[in-house]
Formats: sequence, C-alpha cells, structure tokens
Amino acid sequence: MRRTLILLAAMAGLAAHPALAERQGFLETVHRHQTLALTTPDNGDLNPYAVVVAPVSAGKVQAGDVLISNFNNISNLQGTGTTIVDYNPTTKKTVQFAQVPQSLAQCPGGVGLTTAMTMLKSGWVIVGSFPSKDGTTTTRGEGCLLVLDATGKLVATWAGPTISGPWGNMAVADHGDHATLFVSMAGFGVPGPRVLDPATHYPVVLHKATILRLEVTVPEGKPPVLTSQTVVADGLSQRADLDNFVFGPTGLALGDDDTLYATNGLENTVIAIDHASTRTTSGGIGRTVTHDGLLAWPLAMAWTPEKHLLVTNGKNGQVVEIDPASGKQIYAQWIDNDQAQSPPGNGDLFGLAMLPDGSGFYYVTDDMNTLMKATR
Amino acid sequence: MRQIDRSPPRTRRLRRAIHRCGALCALLGAGVAPALAAPPPIMTVVTDDNGKPTDDPLAFLHNWRREGALLGDWWHVRKDLAHHGITVSVQETSEVLGNVTGGMHKSFDYDGLTQAVVQVNSQRAFGYYGGTFNVSALQIHGLNLSQRNLGSLQTASGIEADRATRLWEVWYDQKLLPEDRLDLRIGQQSLDQEWMVSSNALLFVNTMFGWPMLPSADLPGGGPAYPLSTPGVRVRWRPVNALAIQLGAFSGSPFNAANAAAQASGADPQVLDGSGTSFPIYHHGTLLLAELQLTTPALGGMVAPDARPPLAATWRLGVWYDSEQFADVRYGGDGLPLADPASDGSQRLHRGNLGVYGVVDKMLWRSSRDPNRTLNLFGRAMATPFADRNQISASANLGLVLKDPFPYRTDDSLGLGMGFTRVSPDLAGFDGDTALFSGTYNPRRTSETFVEATYQRQVTPWLQIQPDMQFVFNPGGGVANPQTGTTRIGNELVVGVRANILL
Repeated sequence: MRRTLILLAAMAGLAAHPALAERQGFLETVHRHQTLALTTPDNGDLNPYAVVVAPVSAGKVQAGDVLISNFNNISNLQGTGTTIVDYNPTTKKTVQFAQVPQSLAQCPGGVGLTTAMTMLKSGWVIVGSFPSKDGTTTTRGEGCLLVLDATGKLVATWAGPTISGPWGNMAVADHGDHATLFVSMAGFGVPGPRVLDPATHYPVVLHKATILRLEVTVPEGKPPVLTSQTVVADGLSQRADLDNFVFGPTGLALGDDDTLYATNGLENTVIAIDHASTRTTSGGIGRTVTHDGLLAWPLAMAWTPEKHLLVTNGKNGQVVEIDPASGKQIYAQWIDNDQAQSPPGNGDLFGLAMLPDGSGFYYVTDDMNTLMKATR
Repeated sequence: MRQIDRSPPRTRRLRRAIHRCGALCALLGAGVAPALAAPPPIMTVVTDDNGKPTDDPLAFLHNWRREGALLGDWWHVRKDLAHHGITVSVQETSEVLGNVTGGMHKSFDYDGLTQAVVQVNSQRAFGYYGGTFNVSALQIHGLNLSQRNLGSLQTASGIEADRATRLWEVWYDQKLLPEDRLDLRIGQQSLDQEWMVSSNALLFVNTMFGWPMLPSADLPGGGPAYPLSTPGVRVRWRPVNALAIQLGAFSGSPFNAANAAAQASGADPQVLDGSGTSFPIYHHGTLLLAELQLTTPALGGMVAPDARPPLAATWRLGVWYDSEQFADVRYGGDGLPLADPASDGSQRLHRGNLGVYGVVDKMLWRSSRDPNRTLNLFGRAMATPFADRNQISASANLGLVLKDPFPYRTDDSLGLGMGFTRVSPDLAGFDGDTALFSGTYNPRRTSETFVEATYQRQVTPWLQIQPDMQFVFNPGGGVANPQTGTTRIGNELVVGVRANILL
C-alpha cells in the first residue's frame, strides 16, 4: 500500500506525505526545493562540487555558511577550477571565500578543486585538488590537499605518494585540537579518457583507487599538522571519462560505530570499511552494503538525523536514501529533473550537506551552477 | 590523442611503507628532511611566489580539443565580463545543403548564421536574485536553398532567412515567489524559444522541427519567430512541480504595418523590419498564447526502490489567438474569387485567427548498461479551425532520437523524423479557381510530407558536425513547377552537412 502511495505521489509530482503512514525515512519529509544562489565566482569558474557547512565562525566565515568549491574554469575545463565561494544563509549573499593559484609548485599538476573539502572547528579549510591542464585526465596531475585559513589564504599543501586525485567528499571526526580525515583518492594510474578498453570500447577500468585516513593535530593558532596516514581501503574501481573527468570512490560518511561508508561509483555500490578510525591495515574493497537498484553512479553522501545515508546519483537527478544498518534502499527523490539531460538531471548532482538543524540538505546543480536547498 | 600514464608506479610494498610512516610524516610535516628512502615530504608551506598565470595569447590553441569555446576565454575578456555577471556567447552555424533530385533547380548552396547572445545575471551584477537581462543579435549569410531550388513549404533549414544583420531578442526575465514558482519575462521575444517547443525535435535541421509549419504560414509575417521577434510579456506559473502554466501577450505582428496591409502588399516580413528594431507595440492586434506543460518526473517526486527506471516525458497543450485582421485566401472583398478576372482585388478580411496544438517528448527506452543511451519519441500536431484565412490548416511532426548511439559517444545523437502539412481547403480552392479562370496548369495543392535522417556528432566541446538527409514528398503541396509550367515540382532528396561552432 505504501509503495502504491509513493508511486501515485511520484506520478502526481508530489512527495508522499508523512502523515500517510509512519515515516520510513527522511526524504518523504522534504517538499521544497529552492535555488539559493549562483556558485559562479568573479573569475567565472563553473561546475560546483563540494558543499560544506561551516561548523564555526572564523575569519571571513560565519557558522552555518555554505562553502562550495568549483572544479572547472570559465572555459568549462574540468580540473582547473580554483575557487571556493561562501553563501551566507542569513544575508543570502554569496562572496568568494578563496581563489587558489592555478599553478602551484607544491601541488603536482596544479589546482582543480574537488569534492574533498571540509572546514574544521578550528577554522581551517582543507580541500582536495585533482588538477588537469586540458580538462581531462590525459594531462592530470597527482594533485594535493590544500590547507587554507579562515580568511581563504592558502597556507600549506599536502602531497605525496599516498595522495593522487583526492576526490570524494570527506568524512571527518573533528575533536578540535585533533581530527581524523578520510579522503578517497581516484587518480592513481588513470590514463586519458581516450585510452579505451578494446573489449568494452569505454575507457579502461583500473582498480587502484584508495581511501586514505589522515590524522592531524591542530596546534593553537597554527595550521593543522599531519601526523599519520593510513590507507583504509584500496583496489577500488576508477576510470577516466570524457564528460565526467573520472569515475571513482566519491562519497564518504563515518558512522557512530566507526564504520566508514563509501560510494564506489563505477561498481554502483555503497561499501563499508569497519574500524575505520583504528585499523592499521587496508580493508581492501570493503564489504558491500547495497548495490544497483536506485543507485546510478552514487556520488556524495550525508547522514540524516535518522542515521540513514543520502546519496546523490550522478546518472540521474535523484538522491537515494539508504539504511546502512540493513543495507536497504528506502526510496529516492528527484531533486533535479532537468529534461535537458537524458535521463533527467544526468551529470547535474555532486556535493551534498545536511542543514545544521537536520531539516533538509544543501546540494549543487552542475548544469545551472547553483546552490540549492531541499527542506520540509 | 593518447596519453602515456604519467603517474608514478604504486605497489603494495610502498603502501605498506606508507602505513608505517605515521611518526615520520609528523616530522616531515614539521619541515625536517627525510633521512630514509621513504615517501617524499608531504607537507609544504606555501610561499607567495607561486601561481603566476601564463600570458600566452595562444594558450587556447594548445588545448583546442577540450576548450568550451574555440577561442577560449577571449584573452580574458570573458573572465573580466564574468566579474560583472555578464556572459557572452557567439555561435556560428554553417551548412551546405543541396538537392540531388527534384526541385526547381539542382545545386548545393551554402548558408550560415552567427548568433551573439549577451546575458547579465542580476545576482552577480547587482546582488539581486533571479533576474536575467538578455540581448541577442543575428548575422545571416549565404543563400536560401529552399527558396531558390526547393519550393517546399517545410523549408529545409531552420537558419535559412534573408541575408541581414539584425537585433533579435531583448528581454528581462525575473524569477519570483518561493522556489521560483513564478517567472516573468518582458521585452522583445522570439516565440520559438519558449512556445510549442519539442526538445527532442531541436536536433533536426529542417525548419519545422523548430517553429512549426502552421504558424509559419498563418501568423502575420510567419509569426514572431527566428529571425523575427516582437514585444510582449510572458508569465510562467508552476503551481505544483509537475505542472506549469505559461501565458503570453505579444504584439500581433512582428512589424509595424497591419497584417492585412502587409498581406496586400505581399511584402517580405523580414524587409518590413529589416534590422529588428521597429519594436511594433500592439498597433494592430494582440497575439495571446496559453500553454500547459506537464513534466514527469517532477521535482520532488518520490521513487520506490523497486520502481522501473524512470522514463522522462513532457506534454504540452496550447492555444494561440491573434486579434489582427487576416485576408481571405480564396475570396475578395467583392465576394468574387480572387482568381476571377472580374474580381476588384480587394481583400475580404476576417478578424482574428486561432490555432491549437499538442507536443509530446517521451523517453521510450534507457539502456541498463549505459544510462546515457536513451531512445526518445517526439510528436507535435497543430491545427486551426479557420480554413478561409489560412494557407495551412494542419501540421505535424513525429520522430525518434537516439542519444549516445554508439559506445562512449555520450554527446552524439541520431535522429529520424518527419513532418507533414496540409494545405487549407480554401487555398486549394483558390488553386482550382486559378486553373479554371486562367486555363493554365495550376494543380490544387494538397499536402507535403518530408522525412529527415540526421546524425549530430560532438567533435569537440565547441564543434558539432551534423550530416543530414531529407526527402520531400510533393514539394509545396503539389505546386506547379515554375520552370516547366506543366508539371509539379518533383520529389526532392536533399543532402548536406551542418557545423555548429561555439566561438
């Protein structure tokens, strides 16, 4: 009966009303989808990726502000975006928070800001770079993680053999003076998008992507210092793509029981890595929590108040809600139905972040270069 | 262009070494040089002398395969304009089309169009959400194959027009109400951009997949559609996510003259407003339009876990009414057939004209292996109840578009479409009258049908190449060939290639 109601509601273009029955999850409470702001900064950068809600007020940022990174430059070349914008929900103004130099000797290959971004309670912003010269992985660099202060000033970079294409949205356990960051690395070994597998006629699939755990300490008044790093997952699938730059592990979310969940986009799965904060060895490709079904190239992830996971789809404009405990896919909602893409919303979604009060979530639409808010 | 993998080799041995590097990395982070053959320093303090931009004026040429526009960001002009919320797009469409059978002549002609669009986003420019100011201009060049060779009603190319440089659209659009549920657009508009649109049909080259045949023949001057436009107001209201209601009120004709006077003179409407700057503001009548748009999936629509893959669809139902005066196509003001030599040639005028239409775009199939690969159906039909004042009484389009038709060609499209148009019975009656009174060969026009097959290949982000083939049955509805005077225009096979170049 409930399924019928949901289907009827979908046909009518309405979300199922929670009063119809006991709620199954979070998405059925979401009815409003509002465009908040353009994410294009002064230099014309395009393709918003990461969405992060500021946990504190520091520097130029107010607590609750939304930081958004851009992956493309004004010529729409992927892996060349250098800006982070700051949307203030109170004033409804968007300002440029940071612009990082395109060419940066300390960041192999330069700068193209990805979905791997976080703002720590200490005010430091850490963002990934997976750079390219020509908008494809043909000219990719290994990239780095960039550390910015709360005024948007770049103060340090983290690069090295464990870092290659820091890509997906970060999972963070932030304790103030120290923090644990999880970042997916999608770059290892990825050739250009025209290197095709003769069997499939699509770019070759590699299994070298990793998830890296970074332990940092934050000395008072000083930039965070990396104290240790551990590969907690490896052997994950990745491949280049002409339209989407790269497919690889993207969304990360850390559970209360120290299970790290990750979207493995190319395999169309959500995987789990147990004991993510404490393990000293790689968990390999993890265990599969759920696969296929409503998932269609799953990207960024966020926790709902019910401890479900919201997952944005890359191949359509849906966000999918899953219960990671049971592995059940509960339902999905169209949060971008742009019919200019086929299927609707294809390639539009990426970053995702819950509102601080848990009443909804922020997301970006790459086709319109806008920040959106979905609420009750 | 193949690229050698430039990433350094990674091994499990190395990864194990990295797992163990905790304390070492801490030291490295503090700036102490590594003493062991272990991972290189991972943390670097950024100095101020990094990141100087390159000033190579030909940088865009080095990356011509991936740039979004052929000329990149126009030597930073785009970037400077973007700073003020201004975007500029310039696109050249060039094509060579020719008829290899039928027609009045046989030849290949070149024609082209340069479009320039400037948009100002109010939020970026003034900090005010939801406004867009748009101005566009056209430079039309080359020859008009349909006019010179084909004599077809459903002209072969949507960019064919009189050679000119003209202003096209000038409007301001404002989003209003929460969730942008109301959208208001005021200014000079080209109605083919927002009305009667089939999104899948826009792939094709033939004119009638854009602005349909019926209004092209029946509205004053062919209606305010490319390359013409007219002042007016459009309101779009989205009461629920799946449904939008679009209402419009525009000047009745895209030129300052009254429609009846323009019909009497036989003037070319593109000549009546040669530069697009006459701004005809409701002098002689009003064109009113209403369109209902139903879209699925709708924003916010829920999807059950075992639901079948969603297949998108859009339905549009619309009606237009033009309050101008329209001359009877068969009879004159004196009640005699216009073809009668005794006719005084005066016009028999009718007030108002009306058309109703429906449009559907529907995804029929989506590949389970590659979601980008979809087969889409489109259809559009329009009719008018007034045969006495209209040359065309009905027109329709139908077609299929396969997107991502070949492996890893996600931005390519393959299309097969057709167009049909019926000449109004009164115009056919005029043809009969002409034959009767003049004693010359003048067959009654009936209908015209064409089929088109096309393949649009995205060569680079800024370049599309589109080979195209059309076959026209009964060109002109069966009109006499002026070259022979004794036969109809023969069925035409038109072949050609179009290029869209984003500059």
